[in-house]
Amino acid sequence: MAKQFLSFTVNGEPVEVLVQPYVTLLDALREDLGLTGPKEGCGTGDCGACSIHLDGQLVASCLVLAMQARGRSVTTIEGLARGGTLTPLQDAFVRRGVAQCGFCIPGVLMAAAALLAENARPSEDDIRYAIAGNLCRCTGYTKMIEAISEAAGMAPRTAAGVKG
Amino acid sequence: MATVMKTTRDVKGVGLSIPRPDGPEKVTGKVQYVADIQPKGLLHAKLLRSPHAHARITRIDTSRAKALAGVRAVLTAADMPYLKKKAPTRAHAVLAIDRVVFAGQPVAAVAADEVAIAEEALDLIDVEYEVLPAAVDPLEAMKPGAPPVAEAGTEADTSEAQAHGSVSGVAAVAKPAKAVNISQQAKLARGDVAKGFAESEVIIEKTYRVPMVHQGYLEPHAVLAQWDMTGQLTLWASTQGSFNTRSEVADVLEIAENRIKVIPVECGGGFGGKIRALCEPVTAELARVTGRPVRYVMTRREELVAGMPAPQVIIRLKSGVKRDGTLMALEGEIIIESGAFSGAVLAVGAVFLASLYKWPAFEVRGFEVLTHKPSIAAYRAPVAPHTIYAIDSHMDQIADAIGQDPVAFRLRHVQREGDPMANNQPWQSNAAYEVLERLAQHPAWKAREEWKRSAPAGRLRGTGLSLGGWLGGLQPTGATVRLNPDGSLSVLTGQVDIAGTNIALAQIAATAYGIDIDKVKITTGDTDVAPMTGLSAGSKTVYTVGAAVLQAAQDARRQTLEIAAKELEAAVQDLEIEDGKVVVRGVPDKGVTIASVGRKGNLYMSKVPPVLGVANPAFTQQAPAFAGQLARIEIDPDTGEVTLHQFVVAQDVGKAINPLACEGQMQGGAVQSLGIALTEGLMYDDKGRLMNPSLLDYRKLTAADLPNIECIILEKPSPAGPFGARGVGEPPIVPAPAAIANAIEDAAGVRLTELPMTPEKIALAIAKS
Repeated sequence: MAKQFLSFTVNGEPVEVLVQPYVTLLDALREDLGLTGPKEGCGTGDCGACSIHLDGQLVASCLVLAMQARGRSVTTIEGLARGGTLTPLQDAFVRRGVAQCGFCIPGVLMAAAALLAENARPSEDDIRYAIAGNLCRCTGYTKMIEAISEAAGMAPRTAAGVKG
Repeated sequence: MATVMKTTRDVKGVGLSIPRPDGPEKVTGKVQYVADIQPKGLLHAKLLRSPHAHARITRIDTSRAKALAGVRAVLTAADMPYLKKKAPTRAHAVLAIDRVVFAGQPVAAVAADEVAIAEEALDLIDVEYEVLPAAVDPLEAMKPGAPPVAEAGTEADTSEAQAHGSVSGVAAVAKPAKAVNISQQAKLARGDVAKGFAESEVIIEKTYRVPMVHQGYLEPHAVLAQWDMTGQLTLWASTQGSFNTRSEVADVLEIAENRIKVIPVECGGGFGGKIRALCEPVTAELARVTGRPVRYVMTRREELVAGMPAPQVIIRLKSGVKRDGTLMALEGEIIIESGAFSGAVLAVGAVFLASLYKWPAFEVRGFEVLTHKPSIAAYRAPVAPHTIYAIDSHMDQIADAIGQDPVAFRLRHVQREGDPMANNQPWQSNAAYEVLERLAQHPAWKAREEWKRSAPAGRLRGTGLSLGGWLGGLQPTGATVRLNPDGSLSVLTGQVDIAGTNIALAQIAATAYGIDIDKVKITTGDTDVAPMTGLSAGSKTVYTVGAAVLQAAQDARRQTLEIAAKELEAAVQDLEIEDGKVVVRGVPDKGVTIASVGRKGNLYMSKVPPVLGVANPAFTQQAPAFAGQLARIEIDPDTGEVTLHQFVVAQDVGKAINPLACEGQMQGGAVQSLGIALTEGLMYDDKGRLMNPSLLDYRKLTAADLPNIECIILEKPSPAGPFGARGVGEPPIVPAPAAIANAIEDAAGVRLTELPMTPEKIALAIAKS
């Protein structure tokens, strides 16, 4: 099959790339653009590790064809922190030691960022529901919920280096 | 060697909740896993897998696949003459030779320019099978006359048990004639069981079943292989133990270990499933024949169909007690279904069943049974959740039958330090008693009657708890601690860090040497440069590698002090390290900086040796660790749906080197335990084919299914661990199945003996009662 011309915006930058028409957006980002932050945990939209924002909406990029992103705007985990500064959400994840193996974390953060963009003061149930599409096997989710609550201003900051 | 370091002030080290240093890399997507590495000229591998659980391969024709543009290699077993027909382990069964023994077993391998081309090539490989009868149900498979799984003469593989906290003193039993699929047997007995039952006033007998479950790590197995022109192989691997991967690959490919370099790339979870080699040998062979780097990443479907899950375990348990609660006799039978290749930790399972409580007479028999299913591997405290589900469900029922408090009944009988385990080894120091006692002080346990009565109309509420643990693994290991010219320390091990152990190791080094953690950098080296280091498994990283780092840091400290002593013209024992300086005690002005000692070790023409602390200990003393878990639940009796309202983990960690990381282990382990209890199970049809090969149908718990997991950390120092630490990773996966089953009985008066305890099973049990 002949490759097709894809022009879209990725993390605020215009991008042009040739892709096979059957390639998923996840594969185009990872293999063609070198953005390996989004992960493939299942390839069937069940685990959420590939979550990105497409025109501001949370999507599983393994279920979107690359060509469906033509003319649209994509944000990946690499584009969450602009200018090298962690967002309060990312910062809370770091200080609260959320990540263990870390494989699910990019997807969880994109889901949490989408939630906070829509609902600045979510309840704990809102948070649980918002990341229910993201499977994590290491953390039991507790520290994620606490970190997202903190980023939403609902929980006190926990400083590094102290018992907390 | 529990060591208390004496410094004049506390350094920033052991005991602090310091977040792991790779956090920023992980929250920005910068950390690289195997599938993220893309060398020039990369080829992609795919495997053709058998659709049948048991079949003879009568013909394979790869010619059409080889002719497809973009295909660089197609391999079958015929291309790998070193493969053994009697494959001793799963790793050796690289490609099926003439018979497939489970659905999903690799039959042919392809390397191509693109994944899509490799997939298309699989469709062009023609294989003819003669389908054979399959042994699917382990109870049928263990009978004489069942379809045989292993080639005759294949020996049982017990190396997994060695890695995970081995036990001794278990008698191996010769197998009965013609029961070809019984690959291991064990028997443990003490006292007069028949007399014990004859004198019992209450006898309870139940059979408990736990299906195969998948470890569920989010990153599927992945490996990247590349050979250089001198015949050196480099493997970028997602592994729990790079030296183990190296040994297994060398063994299969029949090449020297020092010709293989395993680079342990960030591991996206393993939980026991990434100890043994799986897809590394075939990927290495594809790289060899193509002369190109080859990457193989398993799909989730392949993981579920043909990974290395935890075994199905069936436990029949019969116990007899007096009405006053005196334990009389226990009889148990544990059947572990290992799939197509041997490897179960049979003895550990049998030992746990009869070792937690003080049975004066017991007989436990264990069987490992092979079936035509994917072979099993460890899953976080292998077989302990299963055995504790049986024994602690049983303890609750006995207490209920004789009208005793379930905690008091357990506390009366739980084994303590020095008591004989079922294999007659004495229990090492542990806090089983204290953990259970502490958990029972929790308000949710004390208020369980109020909770029960508070149920809204049409709902049932209950509380349950359970106690479980792990003996703790051991493995020799090495570490070095180097003083740099600026006074900072570099710690080197080969330890794969998945759980956050590297920050704990750095904290140990900081405290042992006497400087702040900010001055310590820890590196996980590859197998060419790191000291030999054991697996990240068996809850032993901090316990054993931590001990090596502690000793190496002490060695570096001693060397530093000796160098400073000469310069200061003082005795070593009068020196201490304070604020980056070696000073003479009581004379704070008289000192040299650590940096100056480090600098002299790297000066041209200097006569001062560079400080290099080295330790390579082996270990003999295990440190058992226990966790207790408490569940407060609500049941909808019409649908059987369970809502978890509260879940508490109390665990003895010996010494919390990093409390934040301990909590992460306790919370994550608890949720895996709850998954085994409530939702997870690989389901096979009568032909041995997996019926739920996706994460939609293999249901893992999500954030929406759970409350926050509450942690209570207890610290009963282990005699030999660094700063008294014990293993933390495995105990929290053990208790939840029994705790939930006990809570369901408390709420609804029904006893569930088969996992997972799905809404369907609960609703049916309530409807029948």
